[in-house]
Amino acid sequence: MKKDKIKTASWLKGHIYDVAAYAGLAITVILFLIFSGDKLMYNATTILQTVAPYAIISLGAVFVYSMGFMDVSVGQQVGVYAILYILISNKMGGTTKGVVVAFIVVLAIALVCGAFNGAVAVWLGLPSIVTSLFLMFFFTGAQLLLMEGTGNTSISIQAKIKPMDRNEYTLMLIISIAVIAVLVTYFFKYTKFGKYTKAIGANEITAEQSGVNTTKWKVLAYMAFGVTVAIGSFIMLTRTGSAGKGTGTGFAMDVMICLILGGMPLSGGMKSKVSSALVGTFTYVLLSNDLTTMGVDLNMINFLKAVIFIIIVMITCRKHNGVLPR
Amino acid sequence: MKTSKKFTALALAGIMAASSVSIVPVSAAEPKKTTIGVCFYQDTGKAPTATKAFLESLSDTLNVEFKYGTFTQTDEAANLTKVQELIASGVDGIIGTMDLGTQSILSECEAAGIYYAGYLCDFDTSYTTAYDDVFGNPNFLGTVTDGHNPDDVCIGNQCFDSLIEYNERNADDPITHVSLAVFPSWAFPAQTAGAEQFIADVDEYNKTAENPITVDPLDEEVDVLNFAPLDSTYFSKHPDTQAIISMAAGTSFVYPTMVSAGVDSDIKLFTTGYEGGEEKNFGTAGTQTYQQNVVTGVETIVYPLVLMLNKLNDTEFADMPEQAERISTEQYIINSDEDMETFLGTVYSTGDAADAAYTPEDVLNLTAFGNPDATYADLVNAVQTLKF
Repeated sequence: MKKDKIKTASWLKGHIYDVAAYAGLAITVILFLIFSGDKLMYNATTILQTVAPYAIISLGAVFVYSMGFMDVSVGQQVGVYAILYILISNKMGGTTKGVVVAFIVVLAIALVCGAFNGAVAVWLGLPSIVTSLFLMFFFTGAQLLLMEGTGNTSISIQAKIKPMDRNEYTLMLIISIAVIAVLVTYFFKYTKFGKYTKAIGANEITAEQSGVNTTKWKVLAYMAFGVTVAIGSFIMLTRTGSAGKGTGTGFAMDVMICLILGGMPLSGGMKSKVSSALVGTFTYVLLSNDLTTMGVDLNMINFLKAVIFIIIVMITCRKHNGVLPR
Repeated sequence: MKTSKKFTALALAGIMAASSVSIVPVSAAEPKKTTIGVCFYQDTGKAPTATKAFLESLSDTLNVEFKYGTFTQTDEAANLTKVQELIASGVDGIIGTMDLGTQSILSECEAAGIYYAGYLCDFDTSYTTAYDDVFGNPNFLGTVTDGHNPDDVCIGNQCFDSLIEYNERNADDPITHVSLAVFPSWAFPAQTAGAEQFIADVDEYNKTAENPITVDPLDEEVDVLNFAPLDSTYFSKHPDTQAIISMAAGTSFVYPTMVSAGVDSDIKLFTTGYEGGEEKNFGTAGTQTYQQNVVTGVETIVYPLVLMLNKLNDTEFADMPEQAERISTEQYIINSDEDMETFLGTVYSTGDAADAAYTPEDVLNLTAFGNPDATYADLVNAVQTLKF
């Protein structure tokens, strides 16, 4: 009996962050069910629409965050990619072929940016956040220039990129999230890719001395993240059909919040999990939705979100000597 | 006997109850209980505070509950999410102050069977690039612009009139050299058009003027504010300017730079907007920097509100246009001490609905369900002749 108690206590100690993350999700789901009332089905589909781009990008971010790194250029990348999808496909007459070409172009740019982010940080011995800062400024300028070139604050895509039927669209989003989640889980859990990125997050020097080519895996991690950013941007565009000079604003912070709410340690390491991306994204989106449907005052919503975020950061930071990612 | 008495009593009570119900007049004007979401461009400041106060004062008379939110000026997805959250919370219609992601927002409103209308926004992007999708959408009810529409610009004339009025009051020391400040034309085309209108007015005036006025031509580098405060180099580029004619939110984007450059006592500011506190340095007060502020009355929200309430109460004006419209509004031009004194007594400044131009009964009287004789033309007139 005593042994069982000790076992339970020890398990709880080891999984306290997961328990907290899942409890947070459970609470938001319960509130969602209670306060959605007769709009439950409608509300569920809107939640999925909001969750989809965050979830897809957060899933890719797991590789980067598991190394204890981060990328602050995500928002600006999302904005530029969404604008490029529109400009290229519209230029090609709003055809499906145009959308495919646009996707290939954006994917190529995302991969190059990912490689740049990972490689330059290593070559110059800089924290990766510095190179992502450079990319953030670069993409901010590119976004403004692209929009000024159009002469409008917002532009719309001509091609039909989402099903007209709401249920079909919801199904498309579920499949997209599921496919990316399965792929990321496979690579993160069952291949060297995930093991090495976690090892880098746990202790980079030890990983290097164990024969891991840390430069290669860092570059690959950022490239994988780039792929999900390209896909996530497209999914976001299917929702709004338009983009402008501010599209993607705050996305980097939102992704970070999602991962942290899901129990991802800011310092990376062996406790990093793919589930953090999904649990955190749903919790984050549901939280905002719950507070609105509950009729909480707008200013209070932002305050509550900030308080919850601070508490989670304080709980989940596991490193003795550092709070923020490198 | 006892039983028959009971029955008689019950029957009488029933008849009385039935008659008491039947004598209550059933008013056709009784508004349905509705909920309307209102999304501002910011959640704090004079305009949102005054608008909320005005709306809340209408709540009981119009039987409407208001829910508030904020739109971003940059992110379509965030605005769509806010709309979806409001729909999920049970609103019957939404009034929004931003033309961003409007097509997707309207698709959402259509799917949810709710109405959407604009306030303090010209919806120019939609008007010029997606007119049929937005203004032709049956769920879009129209919008009331913050001032005049881009195809009906008069801000240049207004600024010119204020300048001439100032010069008439200060005939011994008139302003004869001015410079301009605007936001980029790709974002606010009406401001560049207003600047051109102002220059044309000055050119016309100079043909017969004793004291001609010089206007520095628009300098792309410093006069066009990229949504950032006026650069301090503005004053070296315009060394002789005596007044800045700013159509680009001068109280927050221009005035602080004037103060930090130490020129607020020497250079006058004719601008748009009012954020509170400007009166301390307005006209003959304080440093006398501000000589013009322009504000749109928050009561103009009655335009989208009345149109929406009509729809929700299944009524329509007899002269309702087939297609949704965007309506220009006359603004409060504050360009003298007397104007400022009067303005400080309005709901915009006090935040007290008792100071509003319209009472709840006035607004009810503008609706088709509250007043069978009400017309669309009356509603437009109410918005366009709003005086303080």
